[in-house]
Amino acid sequence: MTDAEEPADAEATDRPSLAEQRGVDAVYGASEDSHLLAEAAVEGATAGERAIDVGTGSGYVASALAEAGVEVVGTDLNPAACQQARDAGIPVARANLLDPFLADSFDLVTFNPPYLPSTPDTEWGDWMQTALSGGEDGRAAVDPFLADVGRVLEDGGRALLLVSSLTGIEAVQEYATAQGLESSIVAEESFPFERLVVLRCVPR
Amino acid sequence: MQEDLMDIICCPLDKHDLELDVEEREDGEIVAGTLTCTECGETYPIEDGIPNLLPPDMREDAPA
Repeated sequence: MTDAEEPADAEATDRPSLAEQRGVDAVYGASEDSHLLAEAAVEGATAGERAIDVGTGSGYVASALAEAGVEVVGTDLNPAACQQARDAGIPVARANLLDPFLADSFDLVTFNPPYLPSTPDTEWGDWMQTALSGGEDGRAAVDPFLADVGRVLEDGGRALLLVSSLTGIEAVQEYATAQGLESSIVAEESFPFERLVVLRCVPR
Repeated sequence: MQEDLMDIICCPLDKHDLELDVEEREDGEIVAGTLTCTECGETYPIEDGIPNLLPPDMREDAPA
């Protein structure tokens, strides 16, 4: 997350704070990125498949999958998010990424990560920052996710990852390749300050 | 949490199986209890129906 007074680059100067656009709260609510990811996830999912929604937040993407008949669990670092997703009827575990999940457990993994690049002086240290900020390169959560996701996927399984142009779509795809994943863009949407894509990643 | 979650979860530290100890059950759901790693012995609490499977050093309520 970049402060308007401390732009990371020239084009960031007029960028409104995404937290302002999206409304700051203790749990990240469903936004444009959530909708894009949920749509792509439901489109490619089959009833009866087993899925996990990492960083489920309000449980929006997980609920969309559950409605499509997918057996979905959600995880989040934030206890308030876990509670909210549980209240929405989603089985949840408080977890860091995919750490406490067994190998070959899922047909589908979805992740709308914290992806906004930040600098140490713009970090404000609350749960909303944890939900939005991806560290200096925006990839603090994305990279370890890509390094581990192949482990939990069953044969024929795939991961859907939301990535913003603010994070660097090519850089994320290069890193995915280095982790033995084949990636392709399956959905995208452009906004004034960023382009959002859904990357489909499958183990090679 | 529902008991079938046990099929897919493991210790976040060493990926070994967890042993479930139920303290309180409500309508078939486990509301309170502990999960103990069968290998390293680390325990993970289940509170208000939610298993906390964060490694011990990340378990504080405040964000990192």
